[in-house]
Amino acid sequence: MTTPLDLLLFTAAATVAGAFALGRWRDIAWLTGAFYIAQLIQLTGLDLPSASHAGFTLFGQLVGWQMDGFGRFFAIITVGAAAAATAYMGGEWGERYRQAGHSLVWLHGALAINVLAMLLLLAGNDLIALFIGWELTSWASFLLMAQGGERALRAALRYVPYAMGAAMAVLGGIVLTHAFTGTLQFTELAQRVPQLENWQLALMVTLFGVGFSIKMGLLPFHLWQAPAYAEAAGAGTSFLGAISARMGLFALALLLVKFVSLTRLADLEFVSGLFDARDLIAWVAAFTIVLPTFTALKQNDARYLLAWHGIGQGGYMLLGIVIGDATGSAGGLLHVFNYATYQAALVLSVFAVLHRTGTADLNSLGGLVTRMPLTFLVMLMGIIGLAGLPPMNGFVSKWLVYRSLMIEGRPLLFLMTVIGTLGTILSVYKLIHNTFLGQLRLEHEGIREAPWSMTIPMLVLVGIGFVTGVAPGLPLQWVNDAQAALGLPVLPHTLGGVESSQGGLDMLWVVGVLFAGFGIGALLFYGVGNRSKRIHQLDNYAGGHFLSADVRYHYSDHFYAGLMHRIGPLYRGSFTRLEEAVASANDTLAALMQAWYRQRVPMLTLLVAATAGLGWMVLQ
Amino acid sequence: MSFAGILIELTLMPLVAFTIGLFMVLMMRKIAAKIQRRVGPPLLQPLYDIIKLYSKQTQTSHGLLHDIGIVMAVGGYIAAETMVPVPGMHGIADKAGLLTLAYVTMIPSLGLALGVGQCANPNGSIGISRALTAMLAYDVPFVIIIFGTAWFYGSNNLVEVVAAQQAGGIATWGVMQMPILAIAGLFSLYAMLGKQPFEIYVAPAEIATGPMVEMGGKFLGGLFVMQCFQLFTASAIYVSLFLGGGENWPFFIAKLFFIIAIPMSLAFLFPRYRTEDVLAAVWRWPVILGLAGVWLVMH
Repeated sequence: MTTPLDLLLFTAAATVAGAFALGRWRDIAWLTGAFYIAQLIQLTGLDLPSASHAGFTLFGQLVGWQMDGFGRFFAIITVGAAAAATAYMGGEWGERYRQAGHSLVWLHGALAINVLAMLLLLAGNDLIALFIGWELTSWASFLLMAQGGERALRAALRYVPYAMGAAMAVLGGIVLTHAFTGTLQFTELAQRVPQLENWQLALMVTLFGVGFSIKMGLLPFHLWQAPAYAEAAGAGTSFLGAISARMGLFALALLLVKFVSLTRLADLEFVSGLFDARDLIAWVAAFTIVLPTFTALKQNDARYLLAWHGIGQGGYMLLGIVIGDATGSAGGLLHVFNYATYQAALVLSVFAVLHRTGTADLNSLGGLVTRMPLTFLVMLMGIIGLAGLPPMNGFVSKWLVYRSLMIEGRPLLFLMTVIGTLGTILSVYKLIHNTFLGQLRLEHEGIREAPWSMTIPMLVLVGIGFVTGVAPGLPLQWVNDAQAALGLPVLPHTLGGVESSQGGLDMLWVVGVLFAGFGIGALLFYGVGNRSKRIHQLDNYAGGHFLSADVRYHYSDHFYAGLMHRIGPLYRGSFTRLEEAVASANDTLAALMQAWYRQRVPMLTLLVAATAGLGWMVLQ
Repeated sequence: MSFAGILIELTLMPLVAFTIGLFMVLMMRKIAAKIQRRVGPPLLQPLYDIIKLYSKQTQTSHGLLHDIGIVMAVGGYIAAETMVPVPGMHGIADKAGLLTLAYVTMIPSLGLALGVGQCANPNGSIGISRALTAMLAYDVPFVIIIFGTAWFYGSNNLVEVVAAQQAGGIATWGVMQMPILAIAGLFSLYAMLGKQPFEIYVAPAEIATGPMVEMGGKFLGGLFVMQCFQLFTASAIYVSLFLGGGENWPFFIAKLFFIIAIPMSLAFLFPRYRTEDVLAAVWRWPVILGLAGVWLVMH
């Protein structure tokens, strides 16, 4: 009999088939969109855990798939992000993409393959199933990154050595795990891994940790991510930015929380009683919040700015999960959902501007609020979410992480998270200011709002971000299921947030009072005093000069000049140099090996290999 | 408390905050006048100024977002006041907490930044860029203080923090229990108020008053109202964290004015910093003191 998970995987596979078979059909987006909605309905109604009949035996190990609350949580976000991206490319944007000589069939197909691969990863019930899903996801995301032209392909190719390194590390981890525990099944691993010796555990955590961190874009493995995501095709970028890198977080959380357990992880001490592996991961997460955020601040391309923030936001998620109490882990997990809603919307809004103006250069835009008000509204709500301010959902998840760090007594980590938030506020203001505020350029006078096929998906995404900000209890139900599946304490919550005598959060009241305040502010402004008269943007103070449309009067370049005077020298490009050093060392090693093997001493190589082979046979 | 009771509190709290804020502006001007050997303005001058600005015949707007920016600047603070406990009224302080209050007070600044941005004046944009940089500076010691006090009192709820301080008289006030954090807090409060030498984003001689360059009439009046709220909020948070909050109204008001008087007395003695110097000043001593204070509180 077919199980609900079988049906879900079948629907995902049918979406792939449909996307390729009917890809040239004008209304293909409606079909694939309907398939994604069907998957969402199936996911929300899934009885947990839900097993699949699909499976086989490999090297004596049973390989199978079963989805629990943790996998389901990520799966809902994955399918939701795909649905939004599909709707976006269903109209004028897709038509323009096709006219530019790109293949819409491959874009739809790559997106559908990504969803299927991710579902296989998220439903894996053993390490082989996880590895199959992992590799499929890696290559599927490469396929999606490479859509969109030569620059996209070049950026995607930079991801390949990272992905191969990650695959080798994960494969090595799987071999070691089998050698140490004799099993690859998740349920058995959860019992046996904590029993391992410390050195075995450290080796395992290092190999898996490096592999999963690469996908997630954790420091110092993050350099591939921003260009690969930013240069991809618009709808693809939104999907990649919203959820793709979170597959690394999923696997990392599975490893650290479910298999190893956070208490056992703390046994791996570097400085007795002072600094352990759990602290190390928490600090890596904290630096992942701060450094990419301040790299984003320097970007002049809106797509790159958002992609760098995507790396930074991953740090909040991992930090919350590693802190591991009910509040922190709920905050970390909830942030995956919240981030996906506003990041997808923000990316789509930037591509809407790109669609209309032909540029995402923050020094070539400005004043578009009067021409694209709905896209502005989306970006405004999106940046409020990304900056973590009320009333959007990003505030709630970050609040939970902050609160957890306060309860657990981690002042420096708390400070790092807040510095990340402050840096984000600066960066996103620059984004919206340089794009929508300030002077409208002469060449953009005739710009129109993006078409409904683009604005509706964006508005729906920020609408979800607003509703789940006012009523965070709605997604916290799914978060609770995920916490329970991981074996973490579950956060008791209300519809409006968290009740606690030591300082809770009720967003229903906070947002209610906030909007009441806005209402009174509006009454005061519009009800008192004379009516204001609208004047032209050039009718303003210019130190005695008269302004005309040909005068560039928009402050955009080097926006935080004063700040950069102070922190500018800290941007040293250390990670880029590290990457270049590793690549250079790799080239040198390869050249040496090639010279040694092929040119200089072939006979000696042959002799050593033959002798070693014979020796091994004799010893056997 | 009944729903009607909460509604009355939510209405009264912003009104009280605004009224106290008006007199704080008056005190600020009086202090400046005394230092400069002037008489200073009469008692109701801040109120006259607001009435004058709102009743100006010419009100020029650069667009809807310019208007909305002022609405958000005033409305955000009206909301924030309901989260600051005052004698006899807690509003929604126990439903939000100090952390939420800190983030809600950023909303008026965001509103102002959006409104100024639409004015399309580079002086305004430079002012906002500097204001956000200043926020990055003073919020670092401020959040260290939030952490330290929340850890010490075991709560992020300002109502609980105030109750804990009032339990044992002056000896249990935050300033007595955490003096180093209190000093760092005062420094942070000073920078937060944006008066000299931290006045980088107004800087009339450099950027023609920055965010206010395109503000006139009720737009400027809105910013005046915002300033009243800002003075009250900053001092009320400090008093709630370190000076035992409000046992009763006379004492509470005295504490609020005392705290605001300290930075105002110093402000008019200094010239203006450059932006990078604000960062250097605020990221050095207040942060070192704040971290030392947190270490002492936790050990």
